Amino acid sequence: MAFQILLNFILAFIWMFLQGSYDPAAFFVGYLLGLLIIYTFRRFFKSRFYVHRVTAVLNLLYIFMRELVLSNIAVLKLILKPQLDIKPGIFALPTDLTEDWEITILANLITLTPGTLVVDVSADNKILYVHAMDIDDAEQSIKSIKDSFEVAIMEVSR
Amino acid sequence: MKTNDLILQTVSKIILFVIILFSIHLFFAGHYHPGGGFVGGLMTSGAIVLLLLAFDIKTVGKILPVDYKKLIGIGLLFSVGTGLGALVVDLPFLTHVFGYVNLPILGKTSLHTAVLFDTGVFLLVIGVTMTIIQTIGESE
Repeated sequence: MAFQILLNFILAFIWMFLQGSYDPAAFFVGYLLGLLIIYTFRRFFKSRFYVHRVTAVLNLLYIFMRELVLSNIAVLKLILKPQLDIKPGIFALPTDLTEDWEITILANLITLTPGTLVVDVSADNKILYVHAMDIDDAEQSIKSIKDSFEVAIMEVSR
Repeated sequence: MKTNDLILQTVSKIILFVIILFSIHLFFAGHYHPGGGFVGGLMTSGAIVLLLLAFDIKTVGKILPVDYKKLIGIGLLFSVGTGLGALVVDLPFLTHVFGYVNLPILGKTSLHTAVLFDTGVFLLVIGVTMTIIQTIGESE
């Protein structure tokens, strides 16, 4: 991926040299043309066309923002509720992610989800211990976390 | 004996993109400087020929799944279409117009319908060259 971005930049600079103009517009045109050429030859590279990964990162960023807002609203509702009828607890969440930064992002995303909070990561990086505000259905929350966050993170790193 | 083409393949992987970018430069230079659709198209097919030399015909077919015969047709359609476009607005066949347009990032740019005609030439030249080379290469 880094190679494709570097190649795109080099192509943009070569375009500027060919045109003999060194303003941002020439760079922009060169970058677009380079993107087009790299897209045409995308089967040439071992990794995917890098724009896919850029969109995956943007998608992850969007999920991050959305969960941040939703969790704050959920906690606000709970605080304003007159009676306290929650059942807190801790459950174990097995994860398929392997890289350190992937687990870190997953943990941060879970912490920002309404009502869940990562307490600890097991020594072999396979299990996350999550504290839930309302532990009525741990299975359900494990599944929803796996479906949304893990898939989105894998989309970036795969 | 099968030799190892590692160096040729690695170098052509990089050079390929530079050649194609240069061919696009030649294509757009056509109006004010030496260049144009013909030499640009030849150079693009030259880049693909470099790929054919470094890899085999099947690999290139996998990298660029393009039917070059169709490219000839598309190129001809482009060129004839620009010519017919003049007839629609009551001008003689192949009359070209140009104008200046303010694009968001690029600023003031001159756009000319001759570029569309040249695109047709560009695609046609790639199509014909690659069809000739592939047809000769595939026959045993």
